[in-house]
Amino acid sequence: MKVFSKQSVSILLGIIGFMIPFFLNISGLSEAGHVALSIFFIAAIFWMLEPVPIYATSILVILLQVFFLSKQGVLFPEITADYNPNPYTDFIGTLANPIIILFLGGFVLADAAVKYDLDKNLTRLLLKPFGSKPKFIILGLMAVTAVLSAFMSNTATTAMMMTVILPIIAKTDLDDPLRIGLALSIPFAANIGGIATPIGTPPNAVVIGALSTQGINIAFTEWMILAAPLVMLVLIASWLILLWMFKPKSGSLSMDMKGAFQKNSSAILVYFVFGATVLLWITESFHGIGSSIIALIPVAALALTGILDKDGIRQLPWEVLWLVAGGISLGISMESTGLAEWIITSIEWSAFSTLFMIIAFSLVAIVMSNFLSNTVSATLLIPLAVSLAKSGVAGEGFSLILISLVIGVSASMAMMLPISTPPNAIAMSTGTLKTKHMTRAGLVIGLFGLLMVTLYALFYWPLILN
Amino acid sequence: MDEKIYILIVEDELEVMEALIKDLEKFESYFPVETANNVSEATEVIDYIIDHGHKIGLILCDHVLPGKNGVDLLIDMQNRPETMKSKKVLVTGQAGHEDTILAINKADLDHYIAKPWGQEELERVVVNELTDFVIANEKNLLPYMQILDAARLSDALRKNRMTDH
Repeated sequence: MKVFSKQSVSILLGIIGFMIPFFLNISGLSEAGHVALSIFFIAAIFWMLEPVPIYATSILVILLQVFFLSKQGVLFPEITADYNPNPYTDFIGTLANPIIILFLGGFVLADAAVKYDLDKNLTRLLLKPFGSKPKFIILGLMAVTAVLSAFMSNTATTAMMMTVILPIIAKTDLDDPLRIGLALSIPFAANIGGIATPIGTPPNAVVIGALSTQGINIAFTEWMILAAPLVMLVLIASWLILLWMFKPKSGSLSMDMKGAFQKNSSAILVYFVFGATVLLWITESFHGIGSSIIALIPVAALALTGILDKDGIRQLPWEVLWLVAGGISLGISMESTGLAEWIITSIEWSAFSTLFMIIAFSLVAIVMSNFLSNTVSATLLIPLAVSLAKSGVAGEGFSLILISLVIGVSASMAMMLPISTPPNAIAMSTGTLKTKHMTRAGLVIGLFGLLMVTLYALFYWPLILN
Repeated sequence: MDEKIYILIVEDELEVMEALIKDLEKFESYFPVETANNVSEATEVIDYIIDHGHKIGLILCDHVLPGKNGVDLLIDMQNRPETMKSKKVLVTGQAGHEDTILAINKADLDHYIAKPWGQEELERVVVNELTDFVIANEKNLLPYMQILDAARLSDALRKNRMTDH
């Protein structure tokens, strides 16, 4: 490791950030608030500059909170006038937060689907009605990608769809803009589709997890009612934007996707469990069983039948669960120490209108997520929004759910750069397009997304929430 | 330090060597090509590459060489942990049955190309073998999408339990 490598400088910055609140006496901020600020600084710097993996920072956050902020830690064993310390189980308990369990169920399902080629075969089946005209094929690909990415990771969906479009791209003339349109349609549709359900993408988990610590529980269906109409609109707009920017020359395309649904008993069980779980999720309002509880059904069913074996359990993306848990954990201490409130009250919010704040939060989320992980962007912004809404300084019309949704949804609208999301990186790696193509199309879609989020936050979401 | 994956060519005839290098030109910017004229030179090159923290992804080896023959080199590589996973291809016109069988059994030979080869055939073999190699050995497959078999790499990504964060 070189002395001035990016890594060592980032670590140093993080440690300096951690130490600042120890030397600085901020009036109006409790002693515990100072400690929370230290942890927030080191977390924010590490999450943004990534000298250590994102999940490692999350684990560090939980460790620091347990040691320095919990009742069982070293600094605050007693209740003081301005801090009632959380038991350490509050911080480590975030790893079993309902949203984490919901995600676990989602991972297990997605995993089984890939193992038995359910994703590929569904794609084959769903694409059939879209014919052979390039513009409808792109629409079909985008629709299928969006639907799959609502229930699987956007990244895995993109990788799968690449195996579908690469042969088409290979058969297309080198100067046909269709190639670029096709290559962009998949990651964009995956990014957008992830917004549709609670398990679609980690930023949704951050939002739902933060709200649950505030006693607000969002049902699977409720999230879908809030998000899916927006997803459809932005998806159709993206399709039109891509067709307009990259007008296909080819008259017709042939797609010969081979394959058949596996018919062995394990595969049939996977189809059944997948279908039943999704059905139970989207009918929550009828039976009232929480989505996190339902999420345990596939975990148990697939484990009991040996489809989720020992290796399968080991290889689940636990790092995502740690990442989200660390974020929720940070939110808890920022609030209970009064840090979040202090940050919020230091700004004169009443001077701003609701509209201004919706746009501001959405814009900041989109800009941040273009450069940082979507999940990290949501994690850093949500605690601020929570305290802003709770402190009441923001005035009426600024509800907690509303602004959290704005942040969560906006984080997924960032798709200007190859680094913005892993699906974008996959699309870029094929060499079919240049960064400028992605930047231009991503900018237009991001701006359209911002506009739509604002309109939904002003007119549609309040209608559903009230 | 950026880790590189090398292609190693071992061939004693100058003309054949030049033809191989020319046919592998398109891979050079992704997989640096190293050459050796005989087994002892090849061993030195291998040591050098391994010592500098790089890997040998693929070796294209002639059989009949001055001194030790090619199959012996491939067997040596198979017995060494750093080169065990390297893809081993024999490019030769003169290996007899026994040598070939030996190469398959003892060196886990991945492919056999008979001289003279066609450029397309050679490229196909190289793409195939290196795709296998990176799928089995590399964590990040994206840098290879443009040069190797993108469809197979995508499918490997799909099964990699990739996440969004």
